[in-house]
Amino acid sequence: MIFSKSSHKAALESDEPELVSATSQEMPDEVETVVGPSVNVEGDFASEGNIIVKGSVAGSVYTSKHLSVELGARIVANVRAGSSTIAGEVKGNIKVKESLELTSTAKVLGDIEAKVLTVEPGALIFGKISMPGIDVGEKPGRSGRLSKKAEEIAVIIED
Amino acid sequence: MYVYLYDNFLRQQKYLPAIRSTEVKLTDYGIAGKILRLHNYIDAKPIIDDEIKRGAKTIVIVGNDSTLGQVLSRSATCDCIFGFLPVGPDNTIAEVLGIPVGPEACDVLSRRRREKLDVGWVNSRYFVSQLHVLPGKLEVVYDERFKVTANDKMEVVVCNLQPFFWKRDKHDSEQYVVHPQDGKLEAFLRPLTKKGWFGYKYEEPSIFPFEEMMITSRQPFTVEADGKITKEVKVKIKLAHNKIDMIVGRDRQF
Repeated sequence: MIFSKSSHKAALESDEPELVSATSQEMPDEVETVVGPSVNVEGDFASEGNIIVKGSVAGSVYTSKHLSVELGARIVANVRAGSSTIAGEVKGNIKVKESLELTSTAKVLGDIEAKVLTVEPGALIFGKISMPGIDVGEKPGRSGRLSKKAEEIAVIIED
Repeated sequence: MYVYLYDNFLRQQKYLPAIRSTEVKLTDYGIAGKILRLHNYIDAKPIIDDEIKRGAKTIVIVGNDSTLGQVLSRSATCDCIFGFLPVGPDNTIAEVLGIPVGPEACDVLSRRRREKLDVGWVNSRYFVSQLHVLPGKLEVVYDERFKVTANDKMEVVVCNLQPFFWKRDKHDSEQYVVHPQDGKLEAFLRPLTKKGWFGYKYEEPSIFPFEEMMITSRQPFTVEADGKITKEVKVKIKLAHNKIDMIVGRDRQF
């Protein structure tokens, strides 16, 4: 854990209010990387720890742990993560090893691959969803065409 | 053999009782040694090198955060064990190291519990506490992989040993302490946005752990590292692993 609360009572920077409105409270214990709301990240963004995105990221995103895309955040990149919660917008393919949770405000334009997928009512998805563990017995001929047909799906789940 | 480096501010009358009782305690423990007084413009490295040649094994810094930063930024490469006796105000690093302020620090020193500490490296010199880049139109490249920019000005704080404090509102006293030995430096990026005609407002900070970082700008920006202020257009910051052999307390925060 990077941060631990100290016993200090003295407060510094009295003239800089609300520097972190939510960071300190909402962050789980293991949070290591936070992309703030008015920050732009470009390139191969990778981290060994958890990532919270509140700003914009372009390029690619990788973490072996948890990725949280907050409301108002925008990712234009292929995403790979251990697990993820998405409340913002993602343009690109998402590959999650364990569980992916899309909240009601999530917008995903790209293919999704996850072991466990949770979609809240109101979440918008445009792309192919595939989940490891299901044996469809795909053959290159006909099923290939079927998968092409299934490539563009727009799903709006009502409940 | 122990050598004690006293900061110049300890000459003031109000610190004399604390110094006296510290010296008595050191004598009781049998670890009293040579005392050298530092001045503002003295480079500690040649002094420490000389003392090591004369047989010194442990260099004890007596003072506050700025004394520790001033000495260790120059002498991180010296082949000796460092100790710290915090005296007076402005001692935030002492708590991270688990060393109590005042004569009680002698107990920690006598126990000689040693840890290797990481230090930061900026433009061919070391920094131990904190590096502060004042607000400017900056571009930050992390580990040569991704670039971070802000819409307007941005301030960067890189923490090593000295904690970085912030709070959620004016009445909040919640503080977070940076881990000094997690194998990474922590960079806090705080973008500023225009507020009204003249003022700027700090936005929510971004946090990036890193091992190598490059800060560039078209206009020169001010860098403050361990009390030394310089103007730069390009700064390369790296992490040097396990550089300082330091005596720490049991209640250290890492």
